[in-house]
Amino acid sequence: MPAYRTGFTLPLDELRDEIDRLWTTLVTAPPLHGWGPRSEESVFPAVNLRETDDAFTVEAELPGISVNDVDISVSGDSLVLKGARRGDAVAANSAADTVASRGADHAADAPTGGKVVWLLRERGSGAFERRLTLPVAVDSLRVEARLVDGVLTVVCPKLAACQPRKVEIRGA
Amino acid sequence: MVTRTETASAATAPRAGLTYRPNVDVSDRGTEVVLVADMPGASAATIDVTFEDGVLSLHGTVAPRASSGRAVRQEYGIGDYRRSLRLGDGFDGSRIDADYRQGVLTIRVPRLAAVLPRKVEVRAG
Repeated sequence: MPAYRTGFTLPLDELRDEIDRLWTTLVTAPPLHGWGPRSEESVFPAVNLRETDDAFTVEAELPGISVNDVDISVSGDSLVLKGARRGDAVAANSAADTVASRGADHAADAPTGGKVVWLLRERGSGAFERRLTLPVAVDSLRVEARLVDGVLTVVCPKLAACQPRKVEIRGA
Repeated sequence: MVTRTETASAATAPRAGLTYRPNVDVSDRGTEVVLVADMPGASAATIDVTFEDGVLSLHGTVAPRASSGRAVRQEYGIGDYRRSLRLGDGFDGSRIDADYRQGVLTIRVPRLAAVLPRKVEVRAG
């Protein structure tokens, strides 16, 4: 948890955050996607899984991750999401990748010359890997994935043998 | 970049359900402060950024996703995004720039030229 400059976030914002947290705990509403200091122990990415008669749809939030940085592999009933989120480009080439806790005279000593001072760092970066076991085997040849506005959608058609089928009853 | 007042953004009808507080990185780069927020599933057209009295507010509306079938597992919720941060004085609200791509909102808030450090030339007498 990085040190924050005091007074940077609004008191009401903090209170709202606390209420959100309590609310989430009490009614077990699903939390926001897994990045960030509030969910260090959770797996990333969080996924939502839906099932229809002929397919499973896996949805995951991957903000700031390009198509080239995600690998999806399917085998039988197992789905693996692998990838990495690159850190901030400016942070990467700056030696000042430190979180500063600074006083009130902040405007006076504002950094110049490309130095970066972090005021808040809540977004994570780095590699992730998530293995999911689907309820039944899927047809790996027909799996399709899309990544739009940071939301990954993977549609996994079930194998024909695993789909519900109406059985005809023959007469005598 | 459009700077709207709080009343204008409040006029957009809130969606039923939970509103989420997006995770942000905020960095001071001398001439500007840069805020980066994870807001997957929003769209540039439905994100409102306002700067008023030194407070930067962002609000993103997330359209309900097409969902067929039954939910087998639900690990995260989907809803609008809202967050406010106090940046303080000395910023130029008319030159704020906001960009949304890959589900990430980046806002650049430039400092007023008058508050930036300036080297003063000394003239010979």
